[in-house]
Amino acid sequence: MEIWTDVAKLIGAGLAIGLGAIGPGIGIGLLGMGAMNALGRNPEARGPIMTNMILGIAFAEAVAIYALVIAILLIFVA
Amino acid sequence: MTEKKHRGTLLKIVVLAIALFAMIIISFVGSEVGSGIVGSEPLSLFNVEAPQYHPAPEKPFHHLPITNTMITAWISIAVLGGLFFIGTRNMKLVPTGLQNFLELIVEGAANFIEDPAGKKHGTWFFPVCTTIFLFIVANAWVSLIPGFETIRINGEPLFRSANTDLNVPAALAVVSFCYVEYWGFKAKGVSYLKTFFHFGPLWQAIKLIVTGNIKAGAGGLLNGFVAVFAGLLEILSHIIRMVSFTFRLFGNMTAGMILVMIMIFLVPWVLPTIFYGLEAFFGFIQAMIFAGLTLGFACAAVMEE
Repeated sequence: MEIWTDVAKLIGAGLAIGLGAIGPGIGIGLLGMGAMNALGRNPEARGPIMTNMILGIAFAEAVAIYALVIAILLIFVA
Repeated sequence: MTEKKHRGTLLKIVVLAIALFAMIIISFVGSEVGSGIVGSEPLSLFNVEAPQYHPAPEKPFHHLPITNTMITAWISIAVLGGLFFIGTRNMKLVPTGLQNFLELIVEGAANFIEDPAGKKHGTWFFPVCTTIFLFIVANAWVSLIPGFETIRINGEPLFRSANTDLNVPAALAVVSFCYVEYWGFKAKGVSYLKTFFHFGPLWQAIKLIVTGNIKAGAGGLLNGFVAVFAGLLEILSHIIRMVSFTFRLFGNMTAGMILVMIMIFLVPWVLPTIFYGLEAFFGFIQAMIFAGLTLGFACAAVMEE
């Protein structure tokens, strides 16, 4: 019986980070697309586009980090 | 002449790249996981202990309630304080050296803050936002110095990045929350409470109904309830903001720490350097985001409607 708690923990952690990375992945892709489009239209605005893209990516990535925190807690703490 | 020189540098770069690549391959094959894949004996040179992660900070001294993250926070405070003390001791009108560098930081932060907040509110936000930024970035960069996580006392690591202790991001988030509310009250007075308890439209609608204008009142009633509900949601969002602040910083820094540990375990040579660079970049970005979000919420709190 003991092994099933470990199994559940591992599956839960894998699912948490795997499913949690889908949304941020799409989000970062969209951000990159938007930045490339903007860069193609207006190559002189490279600096501000770059800064804002990195800020946006950091926000999208934070969602994946929440999933990662859950996965870490499941494996190491629960 | 120049072509020969160019060829010389190119040759050097190629040799260096090959050497580094060879070091990566050798250290991967020699390490525990790589030797398992290749099927050879692991070399004792690459015998790195498997990554172990403890969410709670360790206490290196048995009887003292001093955690290793606390020591790191003191170190980064000392570094920041020492840097600014030495840099501003003999201030000159035309800055040179360290003073120049510090003025660059402070002026950059001041411009960054005054851009959205304006002159008056910028002077309120500047000390808190800049301090948060500098503290987080110092914590993140101090923990990249070799010796962190590896120097052990009583079997526990003596230093550990302060941002990977949940208490530090939580404390910063609470500070940021308190200051945002304080600035809101300072800018708007008691009417700042209207952001949370917005009963005005509802009272007006009820007044209309009571005075007999039922048709106009019924339409206003819905708007009134929506306004009340939005105000209550605002309370919730202010509290959830703290949790989000905490876990964004904690998660990013912890993930970075685990990433570096795992890379050192997998490929002990050369490759972890790249991840150290990545960590330095992420520490800066996360510090900027923490300070920038505090600034953004503060601007939203003091904004005139």
